[in-house]
Amino acid sequence: MSGKAKNKNNDIASLGEDYATKYGFHDPVDYFHKGAKGLNHEVVEMISRMKNEPRWMSDIRHEALDIFVSKPMPKWGSTDMLAEIDFDNIYYFMKPIDSKKDSWDDVPDYIKNTFDKLGIPEAEQKFLGGVSAQYESEVVYHSMKENLKKQGIIFLDMDSALREHPEIVREYFGSVIPAMDNKFSALNTAVWSGGSFIYVPPGIDVSAPLQAYFRINAENMGQFERTLIIADKGSRIHYIEGCTAPVYSSNSLHTAVVEVIAKEDASIRYTTIQNWARNIFNLVTKRASVYKNGTVEWVDGNMGSRLTMKYPCIQLLGEGARGEILSVAFAGTGQHQDAGAKVIHAAPNTSSRITSKSISKDNGRASYRGLVKVYKNAHGTKTSVECDALLIGDNARSDTYPTMEIDNDQVKVEHEARVSKVAEDQLFYLTSRGLSEDDARLLIVNGFMEPFTKELPLEYAVELNRLLELEMEGGVG
Amino acid sequence: MNTDNKQTKDTASFIPETTPQLDLGSAWLRDKRQESRSVFNGSPLPPRGIHLWRYTDPSIFLSKHLTQDNTSITKSLDGPRSDLAAQLESNNISGLVTDHADQEITVQGIDAIIDQGVIVCSLAEAVEKHSEIAERHLYQLINSDTGKFEAMNCALWNQGIFVYVPDGVTVEKPLYLYREAPPGEQTQFPRLLVVVGENAELTLIDEYSGGGSENNCYANAVIEIFGKQYSRTRYVSLQQYHTGVSSYLTHRAQINQSATMLTIPLAFGGDTSKCNYGVTLNGQGAESDIFGLVFGTGRQHLDNHTLHHHVASETLSNIDLKVVLRDKATSAYTGLIRIENDAKTCEAYQVNRNLLLSSGTKADTIPELEILNEDVQCSHGATIGPIDPMSVFYLKSRGIEESAATRMIVAGFVGSTLKMLPVDLRENIRTIVANRLENL
Repeated sequence: MSGKAKNKNNDIASLGEDYATKYGFHDPVDYFHKGAKGLNHEVVEMISRMKNEPRWMSDIRHEALDIFVSKPMPKWGSTDMLAEIDFDNIYYFMKPIDSKKDSWDDVPDYIKNTFDKLGIPEAEQKFLGGVSAQYESEVVYHSMKENLKKQGIIFLDMDSALREHPEIVREYFGSVIPAMDNKFSALNTAVWSGGSFIYVPPGIDVSAPLQAYFRINAENMGQFERTLIIADKGSRIHYIEGCTAPVYSSNSLHTAVVEVIAKEDASIRYTTIQNWARNIFNLVTKRASVYKNGTVEWVDGNMGSRLTMKYPCIQLLGEGARGEILSVAFAGTGQHQDAGAKVIHAAPNTSSRITSKSISKDNGRASYRGLVKVYKNAHGTKTSVECDALLIGDNARSDTYPTMEIDNDQVKVEHEARVSKVAEDQLFYLTSRGLSEDDARLLIVNGFMEPFTKELPLEYAVELNRLLELEMEGGVG
Repeated sequence: MNTDNKQTKDTASFIPETTPQLDLGSAWLRDKRQESRSVFNGSPLPPRGIHLWRYTDPSIFLSKHLTQDNTSITKSLDGPRSDLAAQLESNNISGLVTDHADQEITVQGIDAIIDQGVIVCSLAEAVEKHSEIAERHLYQLINSDTGKFEAMNCALWNQGIFVYVPDGVTVEKPLYLYREAPPGEQTQFPRLLVVVGENAELTLIDEYSGGGSENNCYANAVIEIFGKQYSRTRYVSLQQYHTGVSSYLTHRAQINQSATMLTIPLAFGGDTSKCNYGVTLNGQGAESDIFGLVFGTGRQHLDNHTLHHHVASETLSNIDLKVVLRDKATSAYTGLIRIENDAKTCEAYQVNRNLLLSSGTKADTIPELEILNEDVQCSHGATIGPIDPMSVFYLKSRGIEESAATRMIVAGFVGSTLKMLPVDLRENIRTIVANRLENL
């Protein structure tokens, strides 16, 4: 074995500890405010009061709480895992510091260290147009390049947006995903805190991506960020978010709601790489409305968490609108990635493409659950769905549950799915060229993921490849 | 009005203890019937949330006439249908079984295969005379646990049909089962049990016809087929009820080591038709193909489900279901391939193609995969769309008028499925397809 390979194997051998040292640490924190565990109208009122919100927002919250209580748990996905969530044992609101900082130097050292370790300021200097960092419930750091501010772009954390631009927030909040939508969107609406708000004025092309980073630190924490992105006519924006959390023995909950609106001719790309620790329940509702000739692209990477249930959705509401969903999921030991995509064609001549890639390893389970719906008036629709699944290990499980509901005859709908293991002949070829079997397998997995990684900014692609390498280690073959 | 509705629903979902069918058969059978009755009475309607029932309202398949005494139905059949009689005459089929309203089973022309040891009779007779085989197989694949409507059939089937092919026997020509429901308000519970012995071979055509054009007839059929090791079975299910029939059909086959099974579901008739075809690959090297054709016209709603369940290693399955829709017809297809953890080195493929000929049609499709081990090759695909205008344009440029061009393209679309049918039946189906394309 060559020295290089040996080194890598050493790296790899410490994989178990790697998440712990790189992401899995946690800070002992004296919280500025730490609410009580559990959820009721008093907690909701307290959150709303601490944020000094207008009455209409607290009303929305209270109403949503009632909806949350009245809705049953989903009966699909992983009902066993969902049953493990103890809603009474979760902190719904934690405020680490008393105010958000816009200079990195003012952020408390322990938080700064956290994000330094995660490489956030570094990335900001390198290529981002703006960055926002959320720690528990609150955004602790926020900055944006001057020239973007001058163009009239609003990039704020959601709480500040509610204070500074209440009229925009009131107009769009819940317009794409109402609290009624599902149990978890109701939960988020009731206790949301933090998240990003972006408004891009007409005709503005934001060339550098904007980024947010979400970090859960405390045990039994629920993070409920709320993100709203509006791209006005003819504008263009790319938004990236990353997520991590420390390794704890008891579970935490991440329930976000992301609403995206692309107006006429506008274009939005939304990239997520979630790498939550393996005890996080990640139950997220993401939906975009796209108007005439607009485009929305979800690029969605699901690496971590215990259970992820996330189905980014695109509603094509104007003629010529286009949607694309590119999602990958990696399910390792004990994980269930119930991911998928939904596209609703509600206007003529709209087009969409869904590409889903999943890898299930050891006893991991990856499911694709999708929907393509074409309404009666949506003639000239073109849509294609492609699902690829790779199985590694004897107990790996892959499910595909696509749904296609077509109410119009002038459409072109295609769906394809393939499931297989790493092909023996490919492995044989690569090993015959002198690669070790592990390296060969990794190369094949990287090739399998390539349609996804090539859509990421370089730094993220490198990071993803590294994560894959770590995940692939051990127990293979 | 509301309470009235509720009243009807309640009687429809309840089989009274005094129902005459419950007393039919041996003690063993009567126990099974009673058990099924209590399961049916005790279970709720299937939830609409699950994919299987997402597109069809289950309450359609409750019957208002459960308690009626079917024996009063006039036995009006004057001999077999002329084309079937002709096939029997010319020796193109190895036998004809006519099932009239599940009241009377007539078996014709089977002398040759009887000499081979084949048994063809009513299931009621089989339970009496061949109780050992019957009790070993009946209710094994479909019983009261399968579902509410299956439990209904398990309690109330009357005559049924039984086909047994002994080990090593090849039935050269297709055996034709013709079931006719008379017009009028009534409920049918056809049932079929087929056992194909080791290294035996059978081709079975199972046709469901009749009923009226008023929406007042309901048929709930159950089919169990066993293919023992090295057996070769071809099963064609042809459903061409009149437009007033609500049809519910559940089919389960189980094939053992190195056995092959070809299932061809053909669904044309009924008002609402819900069919559920499933094959369990239970022995190493077993192979199953399901090649189906569904053609909906008018306001028909055709809901089809397929299941390929790989329990054993080195098994192969293949599904190609074609759907053609015109007028305001709607189709729903849900298909599941499940490969168990112990079933290694399996291959499974599934294709669902939908051709939409009119603008009022609607096609839904959910092809599902559940794969519990890595050593598989598996794929599925689905397409939905109109006739490709380029193909029509090409044919027109060759001097073929548009309506003829459309017919040619549809004929091509269904051709690969029809090719697998026995000759006489193939011609029949071609005619049915051609008739359904009239006045498009």
